[in-house]
Amino acid sequence: MSIIKKIRDLDTRIIYALAWIFVLFPLISPLGLPIPISADAIAWNNYVTDEVQDGDTVIFSLMYGTSGMPELFPMSVATMKHILEKDVKIVVVHFWTEGPLVFNALLGQVDPADYGKVYGEDWIRLGYIPGSETAMGSLATSFQKTVPNDYVERKPLDSFAIMDDIKSAEDIDLIISFETGTPGTPEWLRQWNTPYGVPQITGCIGVSVPGMIPYMNSGQLKALMPGLTVSAEYEVLLNKPGLAVAGVDAVSTSHLLVVLLVIIGNVAYFMTREEGQ
Amino acid sequence: MVDLLPVWIAVFCTLGIYSILYRENNWFRLAESAYLGCAVGYGVSQDLLYIRNQLIAQWSNGGLAILLFVITLIVGVLWYGRFNKDYFYLYRWPLAIVVGTGIGMALKTVVFTQFLDQIIAQANTPFFVAGDIGGTINNLLIHLMVPSILLYFWFTGTIRDSGPMKVVGKVARYTMMAGFGSAYGYTILTRYSLFIGRSQFLLGLPPNAAEARLAFMVIAAVMLLSMIGYDMIAKKEQPE
Repeated sequence: MSIIKKIRDLDTRIIYALAWIFVLFPLISPLGLPIPISADAIAWNNYVTDEVQDGDTVIFSLMYGTSGMPELFPMSVATMKHILEKDVKIVVVHFWTEGPLVFNALLGQVDPADYGKVYGEDWIRLGYIPGSETAMGSLATSFQKTVPNDYVERKPLDSFAIMDDIKSAEDIDLIISFETGTPGTPEWLRQWNTPYGVPQITGCIGVSVPGMIPYMNSGQLKALMPGLTVSAEYEVLLNKPGLAVAGVDAVSTSHLLVVLLVIIGNVAYFMTREEGQ
Repeated sequence: MVDLLPVWIAVFCTLGIYSILYRENNWFRLAESAYLGCAVGYGVSQDLLYIRNQLIAQWSNGGLAILLFVITLIVGVLWYGRFNKDYFYLYRWPLAIVVGTGIGMALKTVVFTQFLDQIIAQANTPFFVAGDIGGTINNLLIHLMVPSILLYFWFTGTIRDSGPMKVVGKVARYTMMAGFGSAYGYTILTRYSLFIGRSQFLLGLPPNAAEARLAFMVIAAVMLLSMIGYDMIAKKEQPE
């Protein structure tokens, strides 16, 4: 019984050390565990493949900072690669301060020029717009009044060919948003989906998933990419393995550790409780 | 050498933040303060950049427009009244404007987006899905659990524990526990994903800089040895 007591009162630093081992080991020596494809990954892939038509205009929004990168960056890169393969116009905009920084990192992975896309004609960066939901509502009303200059060349929006046909939310065919919190999907839906009917797909961190499911069930969201695991599945579907695939072994081993600790913790608790009684 | 500096700084900050797992220490405080300072400074700079762009490209076009811009700036400066007891009341004005416009913008559509659409979706959910047992069970649970929780919070006091509400309340509590469990599970996923992402960086796995691996080993050794060494010395100096 003393061993059980010791386990119950285990120094948390030993658990942290175990977490390091369970994460680092599969990263150093990949286990090659199978990656079954879930319905979420298929739905996301199908939506981008089938519903995004040539000539559409897409908003690509990175609504997260560096802290959200490990989970959201791989899916952002994969989705960007996917939509760049299509003949669509892309407007990159952020309502999170660090959004432009994250997109700079994304450009280090994906160069639109490699897909024949010309800046100002096929895609444009509007940068960060402060003001959260109010700014979202303002952008929906008028792009030109809300964002005076583009982010890269600091020129008026009207001087770019891509903006000739983009004036308000009515000219947008899809919002692709990757996000960690507020502002995020509820704000997009309130300011863009409900008043203008702009469809939306969202990639989010695991914590946000339970809050997103009602929007999926109601059809307000067309597809949802929940977390790193589904991101890895999407990379497999695209046949473009990236950071998510590289990390999915570590996801499996780390979750195994959590399950083991929960079981051991419960066993230790109930055994010592009986002893106490 | 210049290219390596950002990598070493990033490794130092990552390990500095994670050093809290050992115990509260100076490496952590240094990394935490640097992070907070950088984040706030970057945020302020981006906001100022936006104001400058607005001024140059748009607001400076007309006399009335520039007047409105100046008024907006003055209202914005009132935020800083928060840092002084004598002028604290001034801070309430911009706060009232921001909260008022924010709520106004949200209220415009919140009833449709987060209330009516959800009720319609609930009402449209079929009880049975042909050829899909999992889907049927899922839908039946939705029809059982959602009204249970609504009723649980609708009634208060002793009526919640009497008559049929006893059963409804039990279903509602189990539903909420399942919901919290799901949220907890996803939270674990997120925290580990963050940790995995930083580990990929520390190990220098592509597309991260390969130089990070050496920095990881050196800085981790220095931090661990310094903390363990400090603890050992402190233990020795402790009077018995």
